[in-house]
Amino acid sequence: MTDNVLSSAIPSLEKTPTIFDSIACPQGAYCEAFASPGVPRFQWQSLLENLGQRGAATLVLDYERASRMRHEDGATINPFGDLTEQKTSWALDMIPFPISSKEWDGIEVAVIQRACLMERILADTYGPQTLLKNGKIDSRLIFANPNFLHGCHGISPPGNRFLTFYAVDIYRSADGQFKVLRDHGANPAGLGYALENRIVMSRLYSSLYHKTQIRRLAPFFQLFHRSLIQRSSLRKDNPGIVFFTPGPDNPIYFEHALLSRYLGYPLVEGQDLTVRNGKVFLKKLAGLEPVEAIFRQVGDHDSDPFALRRATSLGVAGLIQACREQNVDIVNPIGSGFIETAALQNFLPALCRELLGTELLLGNHPTWWGGQAEGLHYILANLNQLRISLAMTGEAQIDPSVDLYAAIKASPAQYLASSPVAPGVTPSWNGKGVSASNTILRVFACATEQGFSVMPGGLAIAAENTAALLEDNPERQKSKDIWVLSDEPVEMFSMMSGLTAIPTFKRSGDLPNRVADNLLWLGRYLERAEGLIRLLRAVFKRLSGEASPEEVSDLQFLLNILQSKNIIPKSADGAEAFSLEVLQHLKNALYRRDRAESIFSILNRVQQTAHNVRDRLSLDSIHVINRMENFRENTPLEPLEMLDQTLFTLSAFSGLAMESMTRGIGWSFLDMGRRIERALNQTVLIRIGLPLACNDSHNTLQALLEVSDSLMTYRARYRSAYQLAPVLDLLLADEGNPKSLVFQFNQLAGHVEHLPHQEERRFASREERIALEMQTELRLLDLSTIHCGEDISEITSLVEFLTLTEARLKEFAQQVSAHYLTRVPSTPHYAMINTSPSL
Amino acid sequence: MIYRVTHNTGYKYSLPASLSQNELFLFPRNTPSQEVIESRLIIDPQPQYLHSRTDYFGNTAHVFMVQHPHDALAISVTSLVKTSKPVVPAPCNTMPWEKVVQRLISPAGPLDLDAQQFVFSSPLVSYDSDFVNYVRPSFSSDTPVLVGAADLVQRIFREFAYDKLASNVETTVKQVLSNRKGVCQDFALVAISCLRSLGLAARYVSGYLETFPPPGKPKLVGSDASHAWISVYIPDFGWVDLDPTNNLIANETYITVAWGRDYGDVSPVKGVVMGGGLHVLSVMVDVSAQKEQ
Repeated sequence: MTDNVLSSAIPSLEKTPTIFDSIACPQGAYCEAFASPGVPRFQWQSLLENLGQRGAATLVLDYERASRMRHEDGATINPFGDLTEQKTSWALDMIPFPISSKEWDGIEVAVIQRACLMERILADTYGPQTLLKNGKIDSRLIFANPNFLHGCHGISPPGNRFLTFYAVDIYRSADGQFKVLRDHGANPAGLGYALENRIVMSRLYSSLYHKTQIRRLAPFFQLFHRSLIQRSSLRKDNPGIVFFTPGPDNPIYFEHALLSRYLGYPLVEGQDLTVRNGKVFLKKLAGLEPVEAIFRQVGDHDSDPFALRRATSLGVAGLIQACREQNVDIVNPIGSGFIETAALQNFLPALCRELLGTELLLGNHPTWWGGQAEGLHYILANLNQLRISLAMTGEAQIDPSVDLYAAIKASPAQYLASSPVAPGVTPSWNGKGVSASNTILRVFACATEQGFSVMPGGLAIAAENTAALLEDNPERQKSKDIWVLSDEPVEMFSMMSGLTAIPTFKRSGDLPNRVADNLLWLGRYLERAEGLIRLLRAVFKRLSGEASPEEVSDLQFLLNILQSKNIIPKSADGAEAFSLEVLQHLKNALYRRDRAESIFSILNRVQQTAHNVRDRLSLDSIHVINRMENFRENTPLEPLEMLDQTLFTLSAFSGLAMESMTRGIGWSFLDMGRRIERALNQTVLIRIGLPLACNDSHNTLQALLEVSDSLMTYRARYRSAYQLAPVLDLLLADEGNPKSLVFQFNQLAGHVEHLPHQEERRFASREERIALEMQTELRLLDLSTIHCGEDISEITSLVEFLTLTEARLKEFAQQVSAHYLTRVPSTPHYAMINTSPSL
Repeated sequence: MIYRVTHNTGYKYSLPASLSQNELFLFPRNTPSQEVIESRLIIDPQPQYLHSRTDYFGNTAHVFMVQHPHDALAISVTSLVKTSKPVVPAPCNTMPWEKVVQRLISPAGPLDLDAQQFVFSSPLVSYDSDFVNYVRPSFSSDTPVLVGAADLVQRIFREFAYDKLASNVETTVKQVLSNRKGVCQDFALVAISCLRSLGLAARYVSGYLETFPPPGKPKLVGSDASHAWISVYIPDFGWVDLDPTNNLIANETYITVAWGRDYGDVSPVKGVVMGGGLHVLSVMVDVSAQKEQ
């Protein structure tokens, strides 16, 4: 043990060994927490003391609590994946990174200077290009750089602010000086994780947090918002600001959802936005809403597939044109990824003198660019000690098959070399104990009226080795909250006050078409799955009894229904007997992945649509949907058990939706989807089942009630044998039976009446009229005398009625889609140049 | 010569298109050997939004949007352009190509610097050793740059087959080089990739060419098409246009519309349409010489 060292180093502190004693700082790296072994630096003292007193056992529990809090907030990549195999972006390391106010002041000044410099460079690059013409920026950094977007040249953003949100990664080198590793311009990531870490930490260590004077983050977000409002001269009570995300497949989608909620900017994807008349609009059910500002987390190249000729569905066609017309303020302006150009760093000291007349305060990590003679010379002489990356994009050159020496000699300007990085080492919680991690700091700044303001805090990114730290892969990194200590009492700000102090964006209950569309289909797929499961369950129930299949009288009836619905293939003529082949068909109807209408496929679509709107669903509902993953063939479960279990899962989801979703428009669409599907299912079932039932024994009516989930209701209501008229009445016209057809129509009519309408309404919409028609005709239907017998005219006319109803339902669904959910594909078209030789 | 150029582009949609956005590079630009007298743009249906600008390379671009349902879209541009014979240096007196490369590495003035942007790969122009190998025979050491470029253009003319079916907008320049067939823009992109692989500056030019009917037959209105060729930078002189499709140094029958790094910078009509189903495209170009007044 290091007791001797400890006591000799600081005799005043008689301490027992703590969990931090094992931290060893390697040679050549700055030890963040300790001035010498066992001697904590001043800003770490109370933190280490406090955590040390808690002890390892408590910290293990703290860690579990922290992970749970973060999980509950949804900070995982894919809440639909297997929970045990979940990857997490920037998992929280609950040992924060404290920093003294004096040291922070230095960082703040330097980051502001750098942000100003970057903004001046952007303004020149996308404007007069004086630096290029005077040779202050190497011409290749513009001409041979994919980060420079030609189409954005000449655009002046609102307020002439070319950079409104900036982040920089800094590390502390062995000599204690901070150096810059890289800059983030287009869409800096990590702000949301910094916020989430702070929320969790302040809950986890609330007494320590409040005892220590730590500067609050909320004022930064308010400043961000106020500056945006001011710049875009938005009406303050009703600002059209949106948060633009690539969507749920993005690894840090959680952050987008959190920031969107925190700032009160609706979360939108590319397909939610449209450009008209050179202006940006949000597509909502009630019509187009103007958007004046966009907080963008979609990369530069993906922002506008039209102007940038990219086959991407993430962006908004025409967005750059809207910028050109100065009709929208985008944070950051498209094209600002230029400052991420790796080789640009080398030019910054000179550019800082040129543009700002001062020395660059934050030095760069040493790099050499092959495009400069001395750089190339150094690289070729020291190749095996350097890390090689692409000079413009900064991507690491990792293809081991490439002969680097030859490649660099052939096109030197494409390569950039950097010396090995040895970032400062901090104590880090690994789940069981404390270990050492290399740590860098991501610091954020936003544009203000006066220039820039730095967030007092940020994201400390930690990894066990430098390689993992340099990757752009949040899954392999952990993150810490940065605690900027204050010498003065801090202003008390509730984290959540940020949420309420910022005006919310048109909370009219209206929602984007895409969300409504997905909710509608979620409802349809859920109901489709349920209907099919009930039908197949009825079959497997009969197969699992003691009687042989031939003896179960209504089995054939159910199989006929399945055949008529094309769920299983039609058996050969006259082959009445139940065969193994039929059993295989039935199993296929459950598990086949390549069949669109198998239960497996439908459940898959349930999960996919739920995934698309996961920010609208409660975490509990998401967990329930997760359980549908269990539906697969190779389990010990018999088909009947599997169907039972899945039916429970579906019912659990319905229950949660009923109880926990607010009765807004979103719920209306989910419920409409269910009603449409249930009505369709019921109509088809009776239309097919009715003639079959008449040709069969009366037992089939029981089966019909069973698959319609109305058996108990029938027994309770009639207490008699199964007769056609009352059965049909219950299934079709009983307004009190939630499974009856008329019940679905009543619900649908209620929903469409309350949907938002684009214009002043004078007449009922087409879908309202169809709903009313279906409702009325069903109510007028006389079922009292219907019976099976010689005279089949009544049966025939009911079948005709059901056929018509089915067509009307489809028409209804189509009208709702056409009215609210224009799912129109867009296609690019180009004119080819096509001249034949004239000679 | 004075030419009246009419360029009509039409789209017919199988389903109504609800929203159409387009960018056009259809207005000819002024050059040392070309003066644009007038250009007019007519779009049917009338767009709700129309905007024009001068782009990074000095071309005129229009962006327009039709925002109501339409079954067809017609874009028509008519221009009156006066051309004269371009000044072309004697090829054998031009600078050796290695010296040109040096000048582009260390620009001696704004013209060199401006030309430098056409040295690098661009979205549709990339080059590797295949291009170097192909271009080498035309550029032995000390070959005057225009001699080499003219030889390259001639070889492409001879060795590549004109084939409308061989390429589409997805075809890469590398595929064209290995297939040895394509249309004018493919030949232009191959020539550009070859020249840039040596470190020379070459740009993509889009425009028109007056065509002549076979002897004894009348010229058909609308039989022309838009055309593409290349331009090569010669320090202390300027740019010289060469046409790989016809093995020609451009003369006064060439009408320049726009130039850029490659086809993507100056495609005459590009657009994105919501809905519309399948579309049928028709292009009609007419270049007719006017009597001098």
